[in-house]
Amino acid sequence: MAEYSWEARSPLRKAFAPGRIGLASGDAGIAMAEISDFSLVQVMARRGQVANVAKAAKKAWGALPPERPAAVVGKGATLIWTGPDQFFVLSAGSVPDPVPPLAAIFGGTASLSDQSGGRCLIQLSGTRARDALAKVSSIDLHDAVFPIGAAAATSIDHTGVNLWRGPDAANGSSVYSLLVFTSFADSLWHTLADAAAEYGVEATRTPLS
Amino acid sequence: MSGTRTGRISGDAAPLAFNENPAADSRQSRSVPAGTQSHRLSSGGQIDRKHPLGFTFDGKKMVGFAGDTLASALVANGVKLVGRSFKYHRPRGILTAGAEEPNALVELRGGARREPNTRATTAELYDGLAAQSQNRWPSLRHDVMAVNSLFSPIFVAGFYYKTFMWPAKLWEKLYEPAIRRAAGLGKASGEADPDHYEKAWAHCDVLVVGSGPAGLAAALAAGRAGARVILAEEDSRLGGRLLSETGEIDGKPVAEWLADAQREIAGLTNIRIMTRTAVFGVYDGGTYGALERVNDHVAVPPAHQPRQRLWRIVAKHAVVAAGAIERPLVFPGNDRPGVMMASAVRSYINRFAAMPGRQVALFTNNDDGWRTAEAVQRAGGAVAGVIDSRGVVPEGYRGLNLRLLSGVVSEVNGGVDGVRGIVVRDAGGRTQQIEADCLAMSGGWNPNVALSSFQRGRPAWRDDIAAFVPGQCPPGMVMVGAAGGDFSLAACLREGHAAGAVAAKDCGAKGMAGEVPRGDDEGFAIKPLWHVEGGKAFVDFQHDVTASDVKLAQREGFESVEHLKRYTTLGMATDQGKLSNVNGLALMAEATGRDIADTGTTIYRPPYAPVAIGALAGHHRDENFHAWRLTPSHHWAAARGAVFVDTGLWKRAQWYPVAGEKDWLESVTREVLAVRNGVGFCDVSTLGKVDVRGPDAGTFLDRLYINTFSSLAVGKARYGLMLREDGLVYDDGTTSRLAEDHYFLTTTTAKAGPAMQHLEFCRQVLWPELDVQLTSVTDQWAQFSIAGPNTRDLLKNLCDPSEDLSNEGFPFMGVREVALRGGMRARLYRISFSGEMAFEIGVPARYGEAMAENLMRAGAEFDVTPYGTEALGVMRIEKGHVAGPELSGTTTADDLGLGKMMSKKKDYIGRAMAGREALIAPDRQVVVGIKPVNKANRLRSGAHIIPKGAAPGPDTDQGYLTSVCYSPMLGHWIALALVERGRERHGEIVRAYDPLRGEDMEVEITSPVFYDPEGGRQRG
Amino acid sequence: MRIACPFCGERELGEFTYLGDAAPKRPLAFAADGAEQPDAQDLFFDYVYLRDNIAGDMNERWYHGGGCRSWLTVTRNTTTHEIKAVRAAPGAGAQKPAKAGAIS
Repeated sequence: MAEYSWEARSPLRKAFAPGRIGLASGDAGIAMAEISDFSLVQVMARRGQVANVAKAAKKAWGALPPERPAAVVGKGATLIWTGPDQFFVLSAGSVPDPVPPLAAIFGGTASLSDQSGGRCLIQLSGTRARDALAKVSSIDLHDAVFPIGAAAATSIDHTGVNLWRGPDAANGSSVYSLLVFTSFADSLWHTLADAAAEYGVEATRTPLS
Repeated sequence: MSGTRTGRISGDAAPLAFNENPAADSRQSRSVPAGTQSHRLSSGGQIDRKHPLGFTFDGKKMVGFAGDTLASALVANGVKLVGRSFKYHRPRGILTAGAEEPNALVELRGGARREPNTRATTAELYDGLAAQSQNRWPSLRHDVMAVNSLFSPIFVAGFYYKTFMWPAKLWEKLYEPAIRRAAGLGKASGEADPDHYEKAWAHCDVLVVGSGPAGLAAALAAGRAGARVILAEEDSRLGGRLLSETGEIDGKPVAEWLADAQREIAGLTNIRIMTRTAVFGVYDGGTYGALERVNDHVAVPPAHQPRQRLWRIVAKHAVVAAGAIERPLVFPGNDRPGVMMASAVRSYINRFAAMPGRQVALFTNNDDGWRTAEAVQRAGGAVAGVIDSRGVVPEGYRGLNLRLLSGVVSEVNGGVDGVRGIVVRDAGGRTQQIEADCLAMSGGWNPNVALSSFQRGRPAWRDDIAAFVPGQCPPGMVMVGAAGGDFSLAACLREGHAAGAVAAKDCGAKGMAGEVPRGDDEGFAIKPLWHVEGGKAFVDFQHDVTASDVKLAQREGFESVEHLKRYTTLGMATDQGKLSNVNGLALMAEATGRDIADTGTTIYRPPYAPVAIGALAGHHRDENFHAWRLTPSHHWAAARGAVFVDTGLWKRAQWYPVAGEKDWLESVTREVLAVRNGVGFCDVSTLGKVDVRGPDAGTFLDRLYINTFSSLAVGKARYGLMLREDGLVYDDGTTSRLAEDHYFLTTTTAKAGPAMQHLEFCRQVLWPELDVQLTSVTDQWAQFSIAGPNTRDLLKNLCDPSEDLSNEGFPFMGVREVALRGGMRARLYRISFSGEMAFEIGVPARYGEAMAENLMRAGAEFDVTPYGTEALGVMRIEKGHVAGPELSGTTTADDLGLGKMMSKKKDYIGRAMAGREALIAPDRQVVVGIKPVNKANRLRSGAHIIPKGAAPGPDTDQGYLTSVCYSPMLGHWIALALVERGRERHGEIVRAYDPLRGEDMEVEITSPVFYDPEGGRQRG
Repeated sequence: MRIACPFCGERELGEFTYLGDAAPKRPLAFAADGAEQPDAQDLFFDYVYLRDNIAGDMNERWYHGGGCRSWLTVTRNTTTHEIKAVRAAPGAGAQKPAKAGAIS
């Protein structure tokens, strides 16, 4: 009997090459990373259950789900606003089906859908990250408007993207995370790399921690 | 105005020469002739004499300096003739020093980078720049087409309309190409642009447009107060008119004040300076379009940098300090090379240290023109005289010892080498000759109102300055300084400062705006002079529209300004009438006896300055024309050599050629036979997939589909059909019930996006009382169709041995989660599009490629064959399944043979309207099968069905072929078609008529199900 | 044009799609007692095809598909493009609507 193995593959496996992209001289103005090995579940409150969903989330992760566009870091998960009374639960580690443990948390108060395979997570940081993003995103990323913890359900290249700003990197630069549709990931990676090329890009791949 | 001497001219007879020896600098060792700058002043200006730049004009080598524009370098080199006019091929020189330039249009660069119609006045000089004049042959000096000028009496306004009216068919083939050859501008390269362009967004509290005194004062005030400011300046450096004028601000010479202001602005991190950036449009909601010429000032952009960047700037407030444009005077000979705007003469002297002539005469109707005479004199140049139509020397210029000639310029002598002399005519008609090689003219100033007018704001006429000023500005915008009609330096500074402070405060900035900079409050007086009679006097230089053309338009009844514009083409050239519009409508007002305010202006539209299509396209060209979507097995399929087809944004494997196959048909036929006789699989992940969850999910689907889903058992799938509210078919697909409160809905690939929007509309707008949640999971699931008689055997290899895949354990239309070997779980659906024993299997997308590999492994012993969308299509046509070509937006459920699915017991989208008379008429075109009578014939989709013996035409047209394929199972071409009363006509012979390909053949109407009509194979 | 989504804040036009007049209300094909409305076809004809084309303030349906996927009712002046109000559809989010079938 033949051996069957089930290796997860990234939608960026052709687009991505670790190392330098674009301007080759000087420090790279942008670090662009594919963040792998995560679980992502869409949580949508059922009608009249918003308070109960919030209570359940608070109990599970010590954090209330965002009521407006924001990304809230809880214990073991980040809760990212995706629309009214709905959010993503993003956590480290890839499991075959992340829904059952969340079903236990929310009971019948929310509808849950696994999106771990449906999205690809790309992170942009570095001194010129905001300049590169300005070429693809219509969102105002100024510190005063889009501080740490801010999120947006928006579009890049006519494609839905969930964008949020996490804690700053060790070197002080802003860090922007983008959840993009898996089927668009190859295309958007190229678009982002093109936008960032003039500043020099260092591409890496790391698991979500 | 107290001035500083900006330079001196080194004598009348000797050529003007620069003092510093260029060879003293090491960068000058290149082999460019150093002594060509015959009109360069020995000192002054904001050019870098230590940094010479070599360039060519029409192949002739010349030298300019860093800080020059192409135009200023040409002026410094004594070049007068730079182009030929559009229609009459008249010799033309540089007229202005800014973006309004109508004459000095050149081709820049060469090869694929050749760029026609570039204004020499805004092109920054760079080392090695190569410019060509345009619209002349064989050379600029000897232009054959200049004979057009001899025929100018017949080339009047409306000439083309009148002359080439008949026969109309000759327009395309004869008249237009000939006219286009004779009259025109530069030529595009015809090659793909090797540079790249991009678009970007910027956001701010206060956008300041223009960095002259008003703009700088506004930016400083708003910036000091703490607002987020963007200061956009078209030029490569800040300063606007301050770069070209002398005078004092806050007791300092303007140059010094400007340097201080720049330092302060650079220190304010909340001000973003965008030079080389022209704001060209105003759009709803405070969105401004701007073009940044990132690398137009170099021959080739540095690696990874764009040539130009198109900005969309979102601003809460805009302070527009776009300045004013000096207006030409309309008099005979006003287009001779050497006739120049007075303000441009000042710019060339003060900013570029280039003297446009050795004997400069001035023709003005206002005080401001006199400043140019002063500037020429101060730079050591000779003023031949000031012709002021008002006949008086304004106060402030009386001590300058300038020769005043009261009257007008009635003639300009000269030719391709420029002005040689002018004729001045006084009020009594007496004339006198004056020697001059440059004539500076000033007809007053037009505030640059364009940005205020792009949202239908109508400019208002002000008699005291004889100009239009902004009317109602778009929300959030104010126009200040010269753009608002206040020309004095003090007023510009005052208004800019106030507007910046107010805008910042409105945005919540709490800081202090600081002191208002103080400047001279010099007066401005004008007495309009619209036209000097006597000869060809140009109104629109670029389109060769003369004063008499305007009068002709009036005589022929084209009195409205919009008619005037279209009849004469006044204002329709690339400069969009920046110089000509007001003169044109003033002449029309004169001719009609109305005043100018009543005559009004034409509607202004963006862009204010030309924007290249490349900049508008930005990143979206070539392979990046649009985003693309890849299926989970894409790279696996690519490695197998699959041929891909664009399906919307998706790239889908169309077929998988193998060695030795001579064409696509052979590959597709092999794939179909492999499936029908063995087993194959196809990536169908592109189908739209939606999780429909919640207690009311069943009720929701009942209202959405024509058939019922609330009664579907958990673990079962059902084919569903949706209508639009108008009763026609919208979309179809299978929907499975995975749990009591969870359905998994699929749509066609094409409708995935729109269907999601439709579903959300139903949920949020139509039936908010239903507790149902929708999530698109299209990208979450890699889904493969596995089909063919060996499907079950393949799945037995793939699935855990505990899984019962028998007909009893997994019946047709059954759905459940199964365990796969190797520790994976999958959703398995027993549904068939091919008509074979088939399943669809779904795993999270990240396992899609592994699934393709494992399907190959599990099916190896059955010679499993991956197949593409073509084979998929062939098999669905053989089975008579409808798809996109039949779901065309014109068909009803019954047309598709699915009328029986329409529930009578419930309401659903489209139910009421589906019952309309025309939608249930018995003679509707319905889906049938079509076979050629001669089995060797190839069918063509789109061919019309007409009865035997009938003449083809609308009356005899009974339908058309929607989907066509070669059927490997039947061994001939087959088709699905929509045919009138088709269901009653099975067996009838009709014709498939295809006038496009010249084909006409007999075909038989059949049942649409060609293959396995009993359906035994898929249930087996 | 920019539309202030009540959930996301002000966003550029490209994130939205337009459906048109928000005034038409979908008729009921069945009466409360379960009987078919005899004039359903006429009512639906008006619903599907009849639209006002107002020069001035108009309530329009817009979909924030490029953002939070909420349906919105936008009050917009069709001559100046000024947007005076933006409201979410009653079924956006997870609130229980005040009454069944209520349309803003």
